[in-house]
Amino acid sequence: MTDTPQDGLHVHIERLGSAHHALVSGLRLAVPPGEILTLMGPSGCGKSSVLAAIAGTLASVSEGLQPLQLQGSVQLNGRELAHLPTHQRGVGLVFQDALLFPHMTVAENLLFAVPVSDVSGTRSTHAQRQARVQQALQEAELSGMGNRDPSTLSGGQRARVALMRALLAEPQALLLDEPFSKLDAALRAQLRPWVFAHVRERRIPVVLVTHDEQDVADPQRVLHLRAAEESPHHV
Amino acid sequence: MPVVKVFGPLLLALIAALPIGAALWAVGAQMLHAAAWQALWADPQTWRAWGMTLWTGLASTALAWITVAHVLASGFIRQQLGRWLSHLPALLATPHAAMAIGLVLWLSPSGWALRLVSPGLTGFDAPPPWFTTQDPWGLGLILALWLKEVPFLLWVAATQMQREDLRRRWQAEYALAQTLGRTPAQAFAQIIWPQLAPRLRWPLLAVLAYGLTVVDMALIIGPASPPTLAVLAWQWLSDADLLTQSQGVAAAGWLTGTVLVAGVLMVVALRVVASKRPFASRGKRPQSQASDRDGLLSQKTPTWLLHFCRRLPPQPNAMWTIILTAYIAVWSALTVGSVSGVWPFPQVWPELWTLNAWQQVASSAHTVWTTLGLGVASASVCVLWSVAWLELTPRRWQQALQPWFLLPLVLPSVLWVVGLYSLALHTRLEGQWLGLSLAHAVMVLPYVLLALVPAYQAVDPRQAALVASLGHGRSVYMWRVKWPLLQRAIASAWAVGFAVSVAQYLPTLYVGAGRFATVTTEAVTLAAGAQRSLMSAYAALQMLLPIAAFALAAWLGRPRRFEKIAPMKATS
Repeated sequence: MTDTPQDGLHVHIERLGSAHHALVSGLRLAVPPGEILTLMGPSGCGKSSVLAAIAGTLASVSEGLQPLQLQGSVQLNGRELAHLPTHQRGVGLVFQDALLFPHMTVAENLLFAVPVSDVSGTRSTHAQRQARVQQALQEAELSGMGNRDPSTLSGGQRARVALMRALLAEPQALLLDEPFSKLDAALRAQLRPWVFAHVRERRIPVVLVTHDEQDVADPQRVLHLRAAEESPHHV
Repeated sequence: MPVVKVFGPLLLALIAALPIGAALWAVGAQMLHAAAWQALWADPQTWRAWGMTLWTGLASTALAWITVAHVLASGFIRQQLGRWLSHLPALLATPHAAMAIGLVLWLSPSGWALRLVSPGLTGFDAPPPWFTTQDPWGLGLILALWLKEVPFLLWVAATQMQREDLRRRWQAEYALAQTLGRTPAQAFAQIIWPQLAPRLRWPLLAVLAYGLTVVDMALIIGPASPPTLAVLAWQWLSDADLLTQSQGVAAAGWLTGTVLVAGVLMVVALRVVASKRPFASRGKRPQSQASDRDGLLSQKTPTWLLHFCRRLPPQPNAMWTIILTAYIAVWSALTVGSVSGVWPFPQVWPELWTLNAWQQVASSAHTVWTTLGLGVASASVCVLWSVAWLELTPRRWQQALQPWFLLPLVLPSVLWVVGLYSLALHTRLEGQWLGLSLAHAVMVLPYVLLALVPAYQAVDPRQAALVASLGHGRSVYMWRVKWPLLQRAIASAWAVGFAVSVAQYLPTLYVGAGRFATVTTEAVTLAAGAQRSLMSAYAALQMLLPIAAFALAAWLGRPRRFEKIAPMKATS
């Protein structure tokens, strides 16, 4: 597969904010397939809002505040996403909390993400979907724990399930919103290479938001956002 | 699309707001009757009844509030709250009338309390001519109200404290406060209670309003001459004479004014207390532990609360034990009463046991069916409406309109029945099953809404974003994630609604135009007579129906059982 210039994630945010207050303006970012862009900046600078704009979930981050609105474009593999609802964008999300559904087993959490039909539109059988769940459990080093209550997993196990779940949905881009911030240093160091290897393997563009320099996946691709008043700039 | 988005919520708002508004309008129109007000002022009973209303309502509310603060404090500090409150559904399911009847069975001159000590201690061979029930001081009514309102307030508090987000935050803050040198009691009084108390303001207002305006309980255990103003208003309303009727409407209006003034005063009083809180003033930092071990802070904390917290008896909480014991006593009195035949005075147990009363209940099964039908219909309608409302309307609408929907909770039922009855007359629904179930729904709605709102507020908005990012549309999120997770809250809101409907007395009689008998109307009516066993049977039934509903809800909302550690299941 050769990359054409329009492959990957291209985001141009002219203005992102409420009616009275611009949170982010004049931001451009481009992430080719298989690359991980790290988005950094102090809290409140709008890092997570940029991810929400890409995923189309601005409504859920603006809870209780003025609703945020995006002026600009979000293109993924040449497709304009800005006006699509989240579930049609093909953009996966991983939060700092694993957010595993508490009423489903670990395997059911994963199965929930496996598409009913594949890319060509043919329906997968239940057995095929289950096989993918099993494979994901193996990759997450959780074989045999599929029937467990997710709340009985350790923090690191939960984080791995959350990533596997996001990947099983076959996203065309993946957004990681401070995925390591709730883990301790040793676990982070363990989890980081595992996460990066898995997402790179899929050959999809990935945006990682963090405020920890150690989380940077690729020093060549780091974007620093400054606090709201100033304009963001590349480093 | 945007049209649907505005139209849906608007329609929902109208469906619920119109009956409430129309009922208020109708009763307001009837109140413009100068002769009625003159008759009300001129009546010598009015002022004494009003005084009795104020005394019983305010005293029971104050007692309930103090008790709730005490139980929550000691339960929270000992980390036992969850366990204690697990008994709550059974207490909540005990209707007001059944509670009052059970207390009468204990406290009346021929009741169990005296039988247990007679003739041994008292020397009585016959019931003494005492006013131990329907006492002229309203003490029985205060006791009954206190016993009923404490579980209600605790339940509302529990819906807040068991919210996952709040629970975690409060536990953390409580622990943090202790690391800053506060005793557990201080930490609760200064950190948790100031956050919890404002959330109980509406329910407390409802308790106050209920205490000031209750009719069925006051008919059974309240003072008789004069009765409370609500009972007096009810007697006037059911009079054949038109002027007396409008005097009743005026009394209902006066009662409403009383509730509103008392409610405002209470909110102001709570605000004043809250503003004297330690860290309320801006910029002031918590005192360091060294300077403050026992001095300044304890002065700034409501002293009665600290007092309670300090003197916690080792195990279990005395106040809570008293309440539980009282409920068990009431239940057993109802049970034994309903199967008692001949039961001469000083004997502790009946001479003759009989199922006559229950056979009589069974032979008028339509009473039970009417009760069930009304409860199921009104609770279901209210749950459907509330879920639609909470799903479809923007938060701002919900906050703006919520007080309006909660009005039936705080305005006297004597006022509502007048309004609902004229509304039913206009729509030709008076004495009809449909009209009656809608009247029940108006009374049930605020409870269902109150039960559901905290659960909806606790929903993590990121969950919706996450499900969408997995490529699923809104309906998958609703059916497979959100509603299954809310199942427990929805089921228990339904049961609460059912219980409220079962307990309705005035609307059933008045809007039903006397054509519909429910277990509650039967029980209250029988309480005035001498058929102890039949009265007990209906009161027990009045309690068993809601308990069945709560049991059903608990079963529907049972948490999923996961296998602990097991090999992966093969494809099913």
